[in-house]
Amino acid sequence: MTLYHFGNCLALVYAPYHMAYKFSGISEYATFSKCVYAGGLYIFTQLCKMLLLATFFPDYDNTHASGEYDVFLEILKATVDLADLLGLYFAINAVPGKGHAKILTAAIGWACAEVIITRSVLLWVGARGSEFDWKYVRSCAESNVALLQHASTAALVWLWTRSDLPKKHFPIVITLLALSPYRNLLEDAIGSMLGLSTWALLAVRAMHASAVGLTALAMYAVLAQQIGM
Amino acid sequence: MWLDQADGFDEIFKGYLPYYLLVMFPILIIMSPVNPVAASHEFSVYRMQQYDLHTVPHGCRSSSFNLEGRSLTLWSTSRHCVVARIQDITIEQFIDIRNKAGALLLVLPKNDTLLTDDEREHIYLLEAVMAQQEVNLPVYFAEWSSDFEYIIKDLQHSFITDEKSGTALEAMFNTVSSNGYQIVVSTPAIQKLDSKPTVLHGKLTGRAASAQTIVVAAHYDASSVVPELSFGADSNASGVVALLELARVFSRLYGSAAVRGGPSILFLLVSTGHSLNYFTTKKWLEEHLDTADSSILQDVSFVMCLDSISSGPLKMHVSKPPKPGTVSHSMKSRLSVPFVHKKINLADELLAWHHERFSIRRMTAFTLSSLESHKEPRRSSLLDSYTEPSLESLVDNIKTTARALASHIYNITEETSEEDSAMFDEALNVDEASVRSWYKYLTSQTRAPQFLTTATQNGGVTGALERAMTRYMEVTSSVHVVDKREPEYTLYGPTKAVLYVYSVKPAVFDLILTLAIVAYLALVYFAIQIFPRFYTEYAKLVTGKEKVY
Repeated sequence: MTLYHFGNCLALVYAPYHMAYKFSGISEYATFSKCVYAGGLYIFTQLCKMLLLATFFPDYDNTHASGEYDVFLEILKATVDLADLLGLYFAINAVPGKGHAKILTAAIGWACAEVIITRSVLLWVGARGSEFDWKYVRSCAESNVALLQHASTAALVWLWTRSDLPKKHFPIVITLLALSPYRNLLEDAIGSMLGLSTWALLAVRAMHASAVGLTALAMYAVLAQQIGM
Repeated sequence: MWLDQADGFDEIFKGYLPYYLLVMFPILIIMSPVNPVAASHEFSVYRMQQYDLHTVPHGCRSSSFNLEGRSLTLWSTSRHCVVARIQDITIEQFIDIRNKAGALLLVLPKNDTLLTDDEREHIYLLEAVMAQQEVNLPVYFAEWSSDFEYIIKDLQHSFITDEKSGTALEAMFNTVSSNGYQIVVSTPAIQKLDSKPTVLHGKLTGRAASAQTIVVAAHYDASSVVPELSFGADSNASGVVALLELARVFSRLYGSAAVRGGPSILFLLVSTGHSLNYFTTKKWLEEHLDTADSSILQDVSFVMCLDSISSGPLKMHVSKPPKPGTVSHSMKSRLSVPFVHKKINLADELLAWHHERFSIRRMTAFTLSSLESHKEPRRSSLLDSYTEPSLESLVDNIKTTARALASHIYNITEETSEEDSAMFDEALNVDEASVRSWYKYLTSQTRAPQFLTTATQNGGVTGALERAMTRYMEVTSSVHVVDKREPEYTLYGPTKAVLYVYSVKPAVFDLILTLAIVAYLALVYFAIQIFPRFYTEYAKLVTGKEKVY
C-alpha cells in the first residue's frame, strides 16, 4: 500500500525480536556477536540444504505444476530440515554461558536470519505496492510465531545435548525433536482437513508453538532444579 | 576471529544506525521500481469508439486514468471511476456520469443471447446516446468475468466513506472490513490511425453489345460503440454474404455462353459504411464518373444495395417513389416487397442508406433491407451477433433476391410451367453451407473501420473477401485516402487497453492497524516482563519444589 503500511509491518516483525533480545537479559552477556554467528550458521545450513535438495531430489517445480501434491515427496523434503537441528546444535555450542542464554541467543540469531532472508524481500516488494493484501500483515505475525518455535526447538536441542537429562524425559525430547521438521506439514494438514482460513491456521501454529514451548520449559525447569542452576 | 569484532559493530549500530537508516531508506525508495507489485486483477478492456466525422468529434476523447472505483449509486466526484453492468446503468445516470465522473467502466452481459427484449432495447438506446455526443472521460468496456461480478458486488456494499455509518465504531469496522479498488488504465497517447479504405469491385460481363450494368453493392464494415467488439452480423455481414452468394450463382450462369444474361453485373464491396457516411463509395464514384477513362459506370441500369437483410422479410428503401414501368418498380414487383420512401436530406450529418450515394449521382438506386427505418439502433450495436434464426432468414432473403435478379436479367415475366420453375430453382440454388461458413467467419471478425482500413492490403477481412471474389470474377481493389487538410473522417486508437484493479484500503485503515500493532507489542512487552515470575510459578508447578533459581 504505502510506505506507512510497510512501516507498520516492519514494526510488527522487528519489535518482538528486539524486545526478546533486550528484555530477556541476554544482552547483558554481550552476545551480539554470537547472534550474528547463529545467523551465519543459519545461512550456511540453508545453503547445504539447498545443495542436498538440488542434488538428490527430482525437479519438484514440474511436479507442482501438474497440480499433484505428492505427500511422500513432501515428507522426504521436510526430512532434510533435520539439518536445521544440526545447525542449531552448533549454534548453541558456540555460545558460552548458562543454559537459557545459550538457548535464547541461538534462537534469536537463527530466527532473525530467517526473517531477514525469507521475509524482507517479500515485504519490501509487496507491502509497499499499491495493492493491499492481508498476507503481508499475516506474514509478519507469522514471523513472531516463528521466534517462539525456534526458541522451543533450541531448548529441545539443548536438553538433548545434556547428559544429565532425566531418563524419563529423554523419549519426549527425542520425539519432539524428530517431529519438529514436520511441524509445517502437520499444521498444513490440520488446516486443510478442518478447512481453516489462513488466520485460523496462524492461530493453530501459535498454539502448537506454545504447547511445544511449554513442554520444553517444563523439562528445562526440572533439569534446572536438578542441577541447581 | 572477526566475529569477536561484531560487538564493536553493535556499538556502531547503536550510535549511528538511525542516521544510516535516514539516508538508506530514501535511496532504497528511489532505487526500487515505482510500481513494484503486479495487481491481483488484470483485465483486457476495450475503449469506446472515437472518431471525427468532417472534423466533428464523436465518442470518447481520453484514454488513461488512475481512479478509485465506485458503484453507480456511491460515486460522487470526478475522482471516481464508475463501475457498472451495462444493463444497470440508465440513460440519466450515464448523462450524469458523462458530466461529472472521472471514468466509466461498463461490464458487458455474460451472454448476449439470454438478454430480455427490454434489456436489449435498453442497451441499443444507451449505445445511441453514447455515440451521439463526444465524451470527455475515458469509457471502457469489459467482457464479463466472475472477478468483475465480485468487484461490482463488493463496490455496491462497501462504505469506505464514513458518512453513512452511525457511530464512529461502526465507521471503523467498515473501514477495516471493506475493500476499496483502485482502477488503473495506462495506454499510449491517443493517436490518429492511418486509414486507407478499400473498394473491391468485379464485373460479370453480359451478352449484349451495348450492355447495361446492374450494380450490387454492400459495405462490409461494422460499427458499434466499441470498435473491438463490432462484429455486425446483421449490419452488414448479411449483405456481404448475400453479395458473395449472388456472385457465385451468377458467375456460374455467366460462365457458359448459352445462359449468359444480357446486362453486366458489377459487384461492389466497400469498406466504410453508414458510420462513416459511405465515404469510400463517394470516392469510388468520383473516381469512376468524373474521370473520362473509366467506362465501368457508363450505362447503369440500377444499383441494388444490400444492407441488414437477415432479420425478417425485405423492404425496398428508395429516395424517390418509382413510377410504374421503371426498373426499380419492376424489381419491386419481382421481389414482391413493400416500398419505404425516404427523401435524401443533405443537411443530415449522415446519409440514411447506401443507395443515397448513388442516387445523388443520378443513378437509379435502392437498398434492400429487413429494417423498417435507417434509424434502427441495432444497425450499429455491439449486440449484433451471429444467431441461427438470422441465418435462416438470410438464406431465404438471398433466395428471394437471386430469383428476382435472375428473372429481371432474363426478363421472365411469369413462370408459367412447373418445369421451368424447377430448372430455375436448380440454377439459382443457394449453398447454405457456404452462406453459413461465410456468415460465421465475418461475424467472428472485428470489422470496425479502425481495423479494416488500417490492415495490410492483403490481410484480414479485406484480403479474404478479395480472394473469395477472385474465384468468380476478376477483382479490382482500389485504395482511397482521406483528404489531408480537411479529412472527411479521422479514426483514433488505441482501441484496447489493459486494466489493473488494485484492492486498497483507506489511509485511516493504516492508522487503525498501527493502533492494533502497538497494542499487540505492548502485550508482548508485558509478557516478556512477567516471564520470570511466570517461570517461577510454572517451575513450582512442574517440579513441586519451592526453591528455584
